Amino acid sequence: MLTELLAAWIGRQRWFGGKGRPIDELSIDSDVELTPGLRHLIVNVWQDGSRDRYQLLLGERAELPDRLTHALIATVDDTYLYDAVHDPERTAWLLDGMARDETRSGLRMRHVPGAEIDTAQRSLVLGAEQSNTSLVYGDAYICKLFRRLIPGVNPELEIVTALAARNAPHIAQPYGWIEIDLDGTETTLAIMQEFLNTSNDGWDLALTSVRDLYASSPEISAAEAGGDFAGESLRLGVATAHVHRELAAAFPTEVVETHEVKRMAETFRRRLMRAVAEVPELRRHVGALEDAYHQVELLTGQVPVQRVHGDYHLGQVMRTPTDWVVLDFEGEPGQPLAERRALSSPLRDVAGMLRSFDYAARHLLAGRPEAADLEPRAQEWADRNRAAFLDGYVEGGGEINRADAALLRAFALSKAVYEVVYEARNRPTWLPIPLAAFRPRP
Amino acid sequence: MSSTTPIPNTFDEEKPRDPYWYRHAVFYEVLIRGFADSNGDGTGDIRGLISKLDYLQWLGVDCLWLLPLYESPLRDGGYDIADYMKILPEFGDLGDFVRLVDEAHKRGMRVIADLVMNHTSDQHPWFQASRHDPEGPYGDFYVWSDTDEKYQDARIIFIDTETSNWTYDPVRGQYYWHRFFHHQPDLNYENPDVQDAMLEVLRFWLDLGIDGFRLDAVPYLFEEEGTNCENLPRTHEYLKRIRAEVDRLYPDRVLLAEANQWPSDVVEYFGDPVGGGDECHMAFHFPLMPRIFMAVRRESRYPISEILAQTPKIPENCQWGIFLRNHDELTLEMVTDEERDYMYTEYAKDPRMRANVGIRRRLAPLLENDRNQIELFTALLLSLPGSPVLYYGDEIGMGDNIWLGDRDGVRTPMQWDPDRNAGFSDCDPGRLYLPVIMDPIYGYQAINVEAHQKNAGSLLHWTKRMIEIRKRHPVFGLGEYTELNSSNPSVLAFVRELGDDRMLCVNNLSRFPQPVELDLRRFVGVSPVETMGGVPFPAIGELPYLLTLPGHGFYWFTLPPAIIQEE
Repeated sequence: MLTELLAAWIGRQRWFGGKGRPIDELSIDSDVELTPGLRHLIVNVWQDGSRDRYQLLLGERAELPDRLTHALIATVDDTYLYDAVHDPERTAWLLDGMARDETRSGLRMRHVPGAEIDTAQRSLVLGAEQSNTSLVYGDAYICKLFRRLIPGVNPELEIVTALAARNAPHIAQPYGWIEIDLDGTETTLAIMQEFLNTSNDGWDLALTSVRDLYASSPEISAAEAGGDFAGESLRLGVATAHVHRELAAAFPTEVVETHEVKRMAETFRRRLMRAVAEVPELRRHVGALEDAYHQVELLTGQVPVQRVHGDYHLGQVMRTPTDWVVLDFEGEPGQPLAERRALSSPLRDVAGMLRSFDYAARHLLAGRPEAADLEPRAQEWADRNRAAFLDGYVEGGGEINRADAALLRAFALSKAVYEVVYEARNRPTWLPIPLAAFRPRP
Repeated sequence: MSSTTPIPNTFDEEKPRDPYWYRHAVFYEVLIRGFADSNGDGTGDIRGLISKLDYLQWLGVDCLWLLPLYESPLRDGGYDIADYMKILPEFGDLGDFVRLVDEAHKRGMRVIADLVMNHTSDQHPWFQASRHDPEGPYGDFYVWSDTDEKYQDARIIFIDTETSNWTYDPVRGQYYWHRFFHHQPDLNYENPDVQDAMLEVLRFWLDLGIDGFRLDAVPYLFEEEGTNCENLPRTHEYLKRIRAEVDRLYPDRVLLAEANQWPSDVVEYFGDPVGGGDECHMAFHFPLMPRIFMAVRRESRYPISEILAQTPKIPENCQWGIFLRNHDELTLEMVTDEERDYMYTEYAKDPRMRANVGIRRRLAPLLENDRNQIELFTALLLSLPGSPVLYYGDEIGMGDNIWLGDRDGVRTPMQWDPDRNAGFSDCDPGRLYLPVIMDPIYGYQAINVEAHQKNAGSLLHWTKRMIEIRKRHPVFGLGEYTELNSSNPSVLAFVRELGDDRMLCVNNLSRFPQPVELDLRRFVGVSPVETMGGVPFPAIGELPYLLTLPGHGFYWFTLPPAIIQEE
């Protein structure tokens, strides 16, 4: 009975990954009472013969105040069952649990050694997110609940606790986490970090700058425009280099031998061929892409690899009043955990950010009647900020030598190929943004 | 007495005075030379200023700040004092000064003046006696040396004109020390007689009724080998001695330090936080001002957020002085080289607009005469932490004249009406100390007090109204400042709090309209009330509070107590 009600409810949630497909069955995998009126559920959702697991916090109340009616799931035996993430009186217990290292039927709440948790903070659900639910406690912490569960330790938790133990800069301090064993594997259910109060992400800041340049008179160059962003891009480059240095120090590193490097080029090519099959617009760029990938095959040195961010772009970095902070070390979304934790060249992150500057510069052009006139401005902004970011990366101790240039370019182009496929599937009007990356450059 | 309950400014002997008046006062910097000329000699004077006190009272000014008004050869705008106890004859005499203070007090206003303690003019009788009679009573009043090699770690401040901090005096046959111009020898504070003489100067003016001093160039009083000769411990010791004397005999007077240093260094000039500060009552916050300009030009709140996050707490009874413009150039000493280049390209497109390490423009021309920006800047000045200092003429959006030498471009006559010489003086126009502004945009025919007073929509009326609102809410001067989490990097939002007096200020630094979502959960149940019109806004709930602002728009909301609804 509860399972049917939950099945009807879960299909409508924004974070539910199987939207649009019928739910064949929902069963309760585990049901733990955390404290009276608050239950932690893990449910199995069967669709098309495959199973996904989701976690939810189920609140129980005899009376439901107005402010919680939007979170109501069902009424069972005169008890209101609702999504308790919206109820600060219930979520307060998560802070208590982590502060006291509570364990409930295998569900383990833990605090980071040395971290003091202020348990008086009230929570608020942050905006609408695709795959998680984030609770902001006062202006002190942000607790991310992973909705769809994948067995294993979340890379974000693994990386941030390791970097924090080294007093590394440019990260949000971790405070605690919640875990359980799934299929015999220790699995992260939630991670709580410092909330970066009075901060904005790099994407919003970059768009402010781009908007300003578009509205400036044509004789004003990107360097002269009032909203110039190059200083921030440079500082972001420095911060990125520092984070890579810390990742290399906190985790194992390796080198990819020369013959293995050639295999990287093959991977790039394979992805390209798959993409061309799906998006015919790519066909005319294949020659240029093949050339760029071939340059990687010609490399004669080793390529150092290490833990990296894996999904690095302007939306993953926050500008606090004093510094840049890097968030979400979860690796490429949608990839298996092993792949997300795999060692890679840090140039992959650098390439990701370079692509992001391109997106920021061009994203406001989509659907704009004067797009053709503004295109050179977009290019100018992107070039200026990409160069400043690279300068900062080198200034911060990051290494980019001549041989690296070929690899960096291949990473950036391969990322653009991935973007082409994504846009063709989801936002066809944005297709010109990644396609611009293949234009011949002087 | 609690420092959080302002007492109305009456100078009635029966009623107690507010010893902390400076923490919530609105200051107005006035050039006696440029304000009003009573005797038709082309130069403003004290009597002229007295005749305009009604205007300043109407505007809502609490305290006048006067530039040096002492006897001087005027080789450095009066900062080269030739006699500490005489008024510059062009300005009037001591009788005029006493009347100015009395008339200001009658109107509930106070008067403070610049005082230069570090050095005198080389025309000062002390210096003349010192060079001619090394063994005499003034022989040791200045810093003399046989060589010019001592204190090599001290920087040269006026690099445009001076090559050394030492100058040879052929009369005495020795070098004398000067941190500024060579015609301004530094006093020797090692000498107890100098320390006593300066205290006597202070007592002289305090006995005449002056309400305080802006102490010019305080970081440089003492020298010590192996240091940069700035902010030395003995300089602080002497300031503590002055403060103790002021507290003992003149309890509601104020010392305002001019120390163009980083806030973390400037806080030293407030003295010991235990007991609420035992050096200067106030100090200027220099780096904030260029960053307000930068933030608006970049359409990003970060330049302001950053500097305020780096500003340390100050002792309980102290206050920052904040300003947008003053008689000097827009000081760029307290910004990085990169930021300085940026400010030059943005605000000083013509090289003549630059001076020393700054930009010499008035507020309105700096903002290209954009009323929305002028209002936004003024609203920031009146709401950020500190006591605001207005610069004469900026309340009517006066312009400047970059073709005048040095810093004179921003010191032209106040524009009172559209008559001859802008109503400043009835002399022949050729006799004016500086020409009035006559260009087609900022010329006195259009920009003058009379025209602004007649027009209810003028910048002057708007400024007056904002000052009124500020004065109704002591929280602006006394309250805590907390920046709010804002979803939009172009929007600077903060709360000022003092018990039940709570003010929410939201500022759009962008020229484009912007939405912002604010986390106001602390104020759940409160209906913000916009202060200009008194319009109540929707009640604050658990969800982010959405506001939309026009380009360069801002809101000031009062946050009355919450109405709690039962669940």
